[in-house]
Amino acid sequence: MSRLKTALLLAALTLPTMAHAKDLTVGFTLDALNLDPANHRVRQTETILRNMYDGVLTRDSQMKVVPELAESWTQVDPTTWEFKIRKDVLFHDGTKMTGEDIKFTFDRLTRDGAMDGQTSPRKDLVGPVKEIVLVDPYTVRFVLKEPWPILPAMLPFQEVVSKAFVEKVGTAGLATQVNGTGPFKLVEWRKGDSIIMERFDKYYGGSPAIPPVGKACVDRVIFKMIPENASRTAALLAGEVDIAAELPASDMKRIEASQNAKVMKVNGTRTFFVALNTTKKPFDDPRVRKAANHALDKKLVIDRVLLGTAVPLNGVMSPDAFGYNPDLPEYKYDPAQAKKLLADAGYPNGIDVTLDVEGPFKEIAEAVGSLLTKANIRTTVTVGEGSTIRAKWAPKGEKKGDMYFTSWGNGSLDPADIFVPTLRTGDRGNSAFYSNPEVDKLLDAANTELDQAKRAAMYKSAQAMVNADAPWIFLWLPQDIYGVSKRLSGWQPSADSKINLHDACVN
Amino acid sequence: MKASAVAYRLLQLVPVLLGVSVIVFLMMWLTPGDPVEVMLAGQQATAEQAASLRHDMGLDQPPLQRFAVFLGNALTGNFGLSFFHRRPVADVIAERLPATIELTLAALVIALLIAIPLGVVAAVKRGSLFDRLATVGSLFGVSLPGFWFGILLLIPFSVNLKLLPVSGRSSLSCEVAPITHLLVLDSLLRGQLACAGEALRFLTLPAITLALPTAAVLMRVMRASMLEVLRSDYVAFAEAKGLSPRRVLLRHALKNALAPTVTVAAIETGSLLGGNMVVETVFGWPGLGRLVVESIFVRNYPLVQAAVLLYAVTYVLLNFAADILYTRLNPKVEL
Repeated sequence: MSRLKTALLLAALTLPTMAHAKDLTVGFTLDALNLDPANHRVRQTETILRNMYDGVLTRDSQMKVVPELAESWTQVDPTTWEFKIRKDVLFHDGTKMTGEDIKFTFDRLTRDGAMDGQTSPRKDLVGPVKEIVLVDPYTVRFVLKEPWPILPAMLPFQEVVSKAFVEKVGTAGLATQVNGTGPFKLVEWRKGDSIIMERFDKYYGGSPAIPPVGKACVDRVIFKMIPENASRTAALLAGEVDIAAELPASDMKRIEASQNAKVMKVNGTRTFFVALNTTKKPFDDPRVRKAANHALDKKLVIDRVLLGTAVPLNGVMSPDAFGYNPDLPEYKYDPAQAKKLLADAGYPNGIDVTLDVEGPFKEIAEAVGSLLTKANIRTTVTVGEGSTIRAKWAPKGEKKGDMYFTSWGNGSLDPADIFVPTLRTGDRGNSAFYSNPEVDKLLDAANTELDQAKRAAMYKSAQAMVNADAPWIFLWLPQDIYGVSKRLSGWQPSADSKINLHDACVN
Repeated sequence: MKASAVAYRLLQLVPVLLGVSVIVFLMMWLTPGDPVEVMLAGQQATAEQAASLRHDMGLDQPPLQRFAVFLGNALTGNFGLSFFHRRPVADVIAERLPATIELTLAALVIALLIAIPLGVVAAVKRGSLFDRLATVGSLFGVSLPGFWFGILLLIPFSVNLKLLPVSGRSSLSCEVAPITHLLVLDSLLRGQLACAGEALRFLTLPAITLALPTAAVLMRVMRASMLEVLRSDYVAFAEAKGLSPRRVLLRHALKNALAPTVTVAAIETGSLLGGNMVVETVFGWPGLGRLVVESIFVRNYPLVQAAVLLYAVTYVLLNFAADILYTRLNPKVEL
């Protein structure tokens, strides 16, 4: 009898829930901290918000910057940018968006104490803004204190809020309420559990540069927080989520083997490299630096240690970035050549060097170290705490180390944001202490060049110079991995790790 | 129970909480890492931005002053703004607390439901195969790590059979207006039976995972105290009177053997709160434990401090409750 009861109870409990007609569920890692687009500094929060809020500019699937709430933009001079704003955009509450809202949004982001006494943690993502000028109701000018060529590349990171709404609910209210211009509006925030959105039927359609233009395809979007990797994979396999973000590489095989899901990969934006101390022996000699590049079997490390989830690089830029030079020569894996170069440089018996690394990358640095050792670059890996190691390799530091396994993020996918800081003489991330006046000259000229084609050409020749000088062992660019249900269409993972669901459909 | 004893116990809270405050503050202060650096993580950050964040977080003040501000705030129940949520700490904790309470209570009930019958039977059939299996089983229960056992449950029940959900707390099709903020209870109170069933489905796996180690401990306590009671004179006397073994067991032995188990259960509830941190992460349960873990990683001082104080108060109160329960169950003992 009691067994029967249990069985009945179980049956009642396991009745399939009524699924909504067209729901798209994302298995996500971290809940939004705050729904105010100006009051956080967390990538995951932005990824969620970007489906409810649009920006002045956005990126297409090729990572090209295109207009979104703007119709077009021009650079008036090195420090002035002008944006023409669309006239057909409505906020979720039905009010019209104007240039006034754009000015308000960016004033709030860039002025000290503008958010009920606090300053936006996103302030410096908008750059050295002097003022935002409303030229006419649908024309806004950004006036900068100094040239900052990556302004358009950085604007997709900011979302536009409604001036009237913020003045009504205040910064405290905006932390939990949404009145955006995006393809989805907020239904409910079950904190720590899920964020539920539904299609905004009066959406203006999104960027004309990213077809299809129009309302979103699915009825509802649910971001479901599943922090544990294994559980996120399980949820995908169980059909509970359609997209599983930040999939661990070790789960790729399981997903590929299942019938209802597949793996999608996209290049990330973080460049990994080994900085070589160019100011002291042995790496002051370019032949030794080249030897190090020839000594590393990059492909082996990518295949075995990273399970194939990275693309090899011959320079500083991601293949998706503006001004990427695809013609850089490759340092082929060639231990004999490496030993010959070492002998030419006066080290016929090889060299003994150290490789500094932070804890999380210890294993991979050890793999690199053991491969270098095979080619007579006998490497001792030393693991240290982040702040200690960064101080040791700071451009103003003592310049005592030999090699440093490190990386630099490039969310803007623009050289000004990675090439300049890591390779311009004395700049803040120049761990190789590299200095080439020719490269500096090109980087400085590119910083104020208005003609984008010319700017790209300058970066390309600078990349060729750096490739020849080899201040780094050029490593790779890791990829982001997603698990995706086969019932999903119209969605591509994006290099900036956004999950924009405007064009996504489910069967 | 005397009123003075209660007052004395409550007074004891004051030095305990003060001590906890000092320790938490010191630990967070001495741990390497800087919330501003964590928040700006990356390179696109100016010194100005760091300074204004530091100011907003109150980290530009000397440590002693920060501690004084924290104490003053704590007394008024205002724990300031969470560094990362940039919303009041009290709000953020209040959003997450009910889920943790619900999970803890469910786990406690499951643990008792497993531990008491198993412990009794193991004691009665002492030395039997059942007894030995139960004892070995309890060793497993204590030793199995929650994150591993949770995933072990997920694979058959959620992935293969699809009987129970993998993650989360509530079904999207259910909207229940909160009364107690405990979803199962609220659904029942509102008469939404289907939603109560849904909420139970979500609750099942995390509650079982969380309950297991506690059940194992309680089973051992139950078995030991039952054995002791069974050896006592009054049980022998009851048997000699010719009462049925069932009546002896349930009326005479069990009632007395329960006292230590219930007391330990009240204290174990404290460790359930600790176990929450792991289980909530595995099952995406939107509770306080997960929030605290996330906050420790990013050095979210105000939230960690407030949550640890909350844990301390809970723990002290649970101990107090255990003492009271004990006096009720065993009138020979006084507070």
